[in-house]
Amino acid sequence: MLDDLLAPKYIGWLIDGFLVTLALSALASAAATVLGLMLCLARLAPTRWLAWPALAWLSVFRNTPLLVQLFFWYFGLAALMPQGLLEWLNTPHYWHLVFFDVSWPPFEYVAGFVGLTLFTSAFIAEEFRAGVRGVPTTQTAAARALGLRPLQIWRHVVIPQAFRIALPPLLGQYMNAVKNSSLTMAIGLAELSYASRQVETETFKTFQAFGIATLLYIGTVALIELAGQWVQRRNPTLGAAR
Amino acid sequence: MIKKIHLAAMVALAALAGVAQADRLDDIKNSGVLRVAAFDSNPPFGFVDAQTKQISGLDVDYAKELAAKLGVKLELVPTNPANRIPLLASNKVDVVLANFTITDERAKQVNFSIPYFASGQQFIAKKGVLKSPEQLGELRIGVDKGTTNEIVLREKHPSATLVAYDDTPFAFTALRNGNVQAITQDGPKLVGLLANVPDKENYEIPPFSISDDLIGAGLPKDEVRLTEYVNDFLRELEASGKAQTIYDRWFGPETKTPLTRIYRIGDK
Repeated sequence: MLDDLLAPKYIGWLIDGFLVTLALSALASAAATVLGLMLCLARLAPTRWLAWPALAWLSVFRNTPLLVQLFFWYFGLAALMPQGLLEWLNTPHYWHLVFFDVSWPPFEYVAGFVGLTLFTSAFIAEEFRAGVRGVPTTQTAAARALGLRPLQIWRHVVIPQAFRIALPPLLGQYMNAVKNSSLTMAIGLAELSYASRQVETETFKTFQAFGIATLLYIGTVALIELAGQWVQRRNPTLGAAR
Repeated sequence: MIKKIHLAAMVALAALAGVAQADRLDDIKNSGVLRVAAFDSNPPFGFVDAQTKQISGLDVDYAKELAAKLGVKLELVPTNPANRIPLLASNKVDVVLANFTITDERAKQVNFSIPYFASGQQFIAKKGVLKSPEQLGELRIGVDKGTTNEIVLREKHPSATLVAYDDTPFAFTALRNGNVQAITQDGPKLVGLLANVPDKENYEIPPFSISDDLIGAGLPKDEVRLTEYVNDFLRELEASGKAQTIYDRWFGPETKTPLTRIYRIGDK
């Protein structure tokens, strides 16, 4: 059984794919968190000039399948771009920074990152909003009665409690980002699912190829879960509000 | 020397075996009918012509020429890929001319003629981009997921960057967009794809292939005389230029699916 696990070359392919999955979902989650926070603030803004565009953004990205969005960014948008720009995006570029070289990734990576970030940001924004909405209005009223200014109310009363409510679903969205990153295989991005499919094609060891990929996904999601519990335990103000 | 004796013995044995069995070549001539299995839904190799309602195609043209050389009537038997070997084994047909790829596995059950067509793994690129196989290593190339094309290309040109797409139309869109510089598939499939592209004048299929599936006529197992007869027939067809004429009728520059002829009968 162990003999026919997988040749080292193919394990290497799976590891390469796994690293791409990790990098893609980490970068997309980080960018989506920043973007999601801004979207949430825009959505809650008293002026409709901010709230309505934010609402439109949320409905577009939450109500269409991620696969279609990825096709749009990779195939659709590329067809509209001027030829020169696309060629530039597709050819490798290198910049020498002080300590290390930076290289421009192929267009699959750019499209995959943009697609996954925008999709995830819409869900994260709503998790944040749910957190803010979850703080009872009596809290704000009480803070105002104590004479706190609006900014102080946000800083000391609303945000700490909102964050505590939003943290578990936020982590859930990070887990979704890891799983959703597998859809980028459809636009040729060589992440874990793509690599496992490729290994399967060459070796016909279907169970091993997809089995290892499954374990790696489960492991990653479990790590996020553990990290979340660890953060909550270390930081009681974030409380274990579960 | 010993090898030579071995060979002579084997030839003698094979000849004996041929004599021992009823000889199919004589049967065909006596009955006055050549029964050929051909595809009826695989253009341009064998398909039902919409106007004449007859089975026609590249393989069928070879069947007609063979019947003419034998001086007998041609009877076409429609087949699908799975029935080709059973039809031969059960003596329902004398020859299979149905885009029949020669493989070692199949050669255990049927005789094959020398190849008369090669379906090779080729490329589509924008005009002027791809001239020779040596360039492949530096290009980004789109492939179809899970195909042998992907495996063959990676083996032969490990330095090429492969991007795998779900199917050929997706790969072609990536080529149009410039995400990849070439895409690869079997030559006859690529011409079929290119035939339906609105701006096809911008693309070309460079005249080289990196692997060949050789197509031969399938014949009943151990029918040595018939096999030799078909081989001679194919060589004559190439020598007389008729093989080229038949090819041009289906893949020539005037057709909807032009594909440069790389393989000639007698090449290996």
